[in-house]
Amino acid sequence: MRQILKTSLLLLTLSSILFSCTKDETTVALPVTAITVSNLPADTVLGINKITGRPFSAGKYTFFSLERNAIVPNTDSASTQWDLAFAGSKILTNGGTSGTGLGGAFIYTGLFDDVKTISNDSVFKTDNAPASFAVTFGSGKGWYVYDQLTSLITPLAGRVLVIRTASGKYAKVEIINYYKGGVTLPITASDSDKLSKQRYYTFRYAYQPNGSKTF
Amino acid sequence: MLMKLRFLYFLVFAPICLFSQVRFVKDTIQSQGDSVVVTATRSERKLSNVTVPVTIINAKSIQQIGALRLTDILKEQPGLSMTSGFGAGVQLQGLNPDYTIILINGEPLVGRTAGVLDLNRIALGNIKKIEIVKGPSSSLYGSEAMAGVINIITDATNKTPLQSSLRYGTYNTIDAGLNNTLASKSILYQGYYNYYSTDGYSIRPSTASRVTTPITRVATNQQFKYNLSNNTNVRVGMRFTNEQIKNELSVTNGGLTINSNGEEKNTDYNIASSLNHRFSNSLKTSFRSYITQYNATQNLLTISGAPYTDILDHVFNRLENQTDWVVNKKLTAIVGGGAVMEGVKSSRYDSEKIRKTNTNQYAFSQWEWTHNAKLILIGGIRFDQNQTYASAWSPKASMLYKINKQHRIRLSIGQGFKAPDFRQLYLNFTNAAAGSYSVFGTAQAQKVIGQLNILGQIGTLYNNFYQLKSLQPEYATGTHLTWEFEPNAKNNFSFQLFRNDIRNLIEVQQVGAYITGAQIYSYLNIGRAFTTGFEIEAKHQISKEFSISTAYQYLQTGDKDQIAQIKNGIVYTRDANGLSRKLNVSEYVGLPNNSTHKAQLKFNYSNQNGLFGNIRALYRSKWAVNNTNGNEVFDDGDSFAEGYIALHLSIGKDYMNGLGFQFGCDNMLNYIDALNLPNLPGRTFFATLKIQKSKKI
Repeated sequence: MRQILKTSLLLLTLSSILFSCTKDETTVALPVTAITVSNLPADTVLGINKITGRPFSAGKYTFFSLERNAIVPNTDSASTQWDLAFAGSKILTNGGTSGTGLGGAFIYTGLFDDVKTISNDSVFKTDNAPASFAVTFGSGKGWYVYDQLTSLITPLAGRVLVIRTASGKYAKVEIINYYKGGVTLPITASDSDKLSKQRYYTFRYAYQPNGSKTF
Repeated sequence: MLMKLRFLYFLVFAPICLFSQVRFVKDTIQSQGDSVVVTATRSERKLSNVTVPVTIINAKSIQQIGALRLTDILKEQPGLSMTSGFGAGVQLQGLNPDYTIILINGEPLVGRTAGVLDLNRIALGNIKKIEIVKGPSSSLYGSEAMAGVINIITDATNKTPLQSSLRYGTYNTIDAGLNNTLASKSILYQGYYNYYSTDGYSIRPSTASRVTTPITRVATNQQFKYNLSNNTNVRVGMRFTNEQIKNELSVTNGGLTINSNGEEKNTDYNIASSLNHRFSNSLKTSFRSYITQYNATQNLLTISGAPYTDILDHVFNRLENQTDWVVNKKLTAIVGGGAVMEGVKSSRYDSEKIRKTNTNQYAFSQWEWTHNAKLILIGGIRFDQNQTYASAWSPKASMLYKINKQHRIRLSIGQGFKAPDFRQLYLNFTNAAAGSYSVFGTAQAQKVIGQLNILGQIGTLYNNFYQLKSLQPEYATGTHLTWEFEPNAKNNFSFQLFRNDIRNLIEVQQVGAYITGAQIYSYLNIGRAFTTGFEIEAKHQISKEFSISTAYQYLQTGDKDQIAQIKNGIVYTRDANGLSRKLNVSEYVGLPNNSTHKAQLKFNYSNQNGLFGNIRALYRSKWAVNNTNGNEVFDDGDSFAEGYIALHLSIGKDYMNGLGFQFGCDNMLNYIDALNLPNLPGRTFFATLKIQKSKKI
């Protein structure tokens, strides 16, 4: 399956190159540039509940627009203003049970730069809370692993979140880090640091504004 | 890598073959005090005539370093290292504890947790020697003897009527031992008693839970030998150990800390009896029976009052015959066979009341051809027929070639296997505390999951669910080539190349999911791995009193399927900026918990007046412990335990009147790595007093 996907990607890429070469000077899509977002807070930990011993937070998502590269106020959560919403290790897309947009996603295994064109047979999943999410939730299942021994979250290398935005356009996202400052804490860091410095996303993305599936 | 090794073999071999044709030297290899070993061939042989690599640790060296438990002595042997999950297990030439069989007087110890046999269970007080055979030895010992064999031989012929010792050390560690022997013309009795207790220690700051928990162990070993006639004798040996461990656990999961306390009780007994008869000088036979049981019970109470009980009860009974036949001057044969009845009860199976059983019948044969004074060839094969998994053939061929007075070559090639264990067959465990995932052993997986499916609880079944079938044993093919050089009585040197190729490795795999999304796992024979490297050992007697010895091991390991995946470019890591990139094969570090370099240096002093002392430095280079970047292979981007040096010292004096003193300091450099080396406390001290009645009997 992966092989087929790769081959079709390769063919598509090749054909687009050939195509653009033959019809000189008529290329429409400019290559999109990758943007890096640093330290995006995602429902950060506020403290520890003295009775249950569990960390607590405000329980609010951070809404983000890929189109405008900006945080969207929570008051606009019921709109198509946002494309991704972050809370802890959970990432929502603006569609399905999560929003009113056309949003969806799938996780591609491979490199960010290798996602040049989204093949037509790619299936975008939509959020279907609480059973499933377009960006699969859980350690080792989606974009990260959680280590029980060290209590650290590490984004998996070679995972690209291929996103359909609220307005039906396409973007690709690579999560780089989950900790404040963009550096995963050492395993020896104190428990309080591990709690207070987590839930800060660093990621890079490329957004194609023209609606095509080519980056 | 294999090609490289073959080339090396050729390099080492070719000149030797040429050399041997032009020189004829009378065989006079007779090392001083040439030891007798039994483990290599299941019969008594001089060490200098054994075709496979064997290490002997004698009682004197155990005593002089102040070793109490089997772990203490094994961790100082070249090529061996200790693991720290589920007690202290031994890793031999890069292979995990499940692949080394541990014998006491030739009979296997049982009671493994997750494949690990905790070697702290074995007290060393009445041990005559320990023999370590490296390389697959299933042709003689069957399952588990895949990496090698460690045989602990107790001293039934001790001529000392009474020995006692008392030791006190850091963390309130007390060890008391008593050994007494009674003998008449036809009866020999030996009894050994040991008491050990420690308060344990905590090397993690700001936590109440101790790395080594408070523990009390008692052990006894009773041995009888009765000579019915000059040619017939009966031997009975009984061993019993009991350990009680106080548990104060503190488990943090997802920011939630659960404290619990309770007790763990492990008991272990075995009874080995044998009837031995010598028909003539060329024919003898031995009937042996062995009964053993290991019971581990853990009772915990969490602070919320919820009880937790974990029970494991393993019985292993065996009947065996072995006949040794000297066919003629050149040919010796061993033929044997037996039957094993094994059973396990566990709270992690479907019912803790029903014992899961398994039977195994086997036959083995070994032929030894002494071609001339220089060349010995051995061939052997064993067949194991099993009730619950596929049967196994284990062949082995080995040779010893004495080039001349100073040089010896040993070469062995053998196949070893490890039977699927009870957990892989019968586990029926759902972890309610961690997302309610389930693990089912293969003997029941299809049935149990099928039933759950009828009940509508199964969400998805993967393709590999339909591939589940009765497990095959795991196999290893091992080659060991050893060159020994002994220029004179004061110096000896050995160089060994080894390579083990393992196939059919049993691995846990997700085979499906519940409708809730929780994973369902079972076991499949899928993995392929290798371990390879070399070992160098050298010893030099500086003077009558001083000696120095050193050893080094170079080790490379790897999972062959993972290497193939990396080569296919489907394994990823991150660059310095945190961006993903493909992993290079050169960044792959192989199997976890394996150090590339291990080295040791020991100085030993011992004089005629009973004064002795030694200082031992043991080095281990870094090893991978955790796949932090989540790409499922161990590479440079993962977390490693740092390399370290442990330095130990011991001095003592034994007086003629039977009194003896010993002082020691372990881990003098106070090296601590709480996370990766929980079994290594900081610097500890001990003092021992010994009294023995040395009247000859």
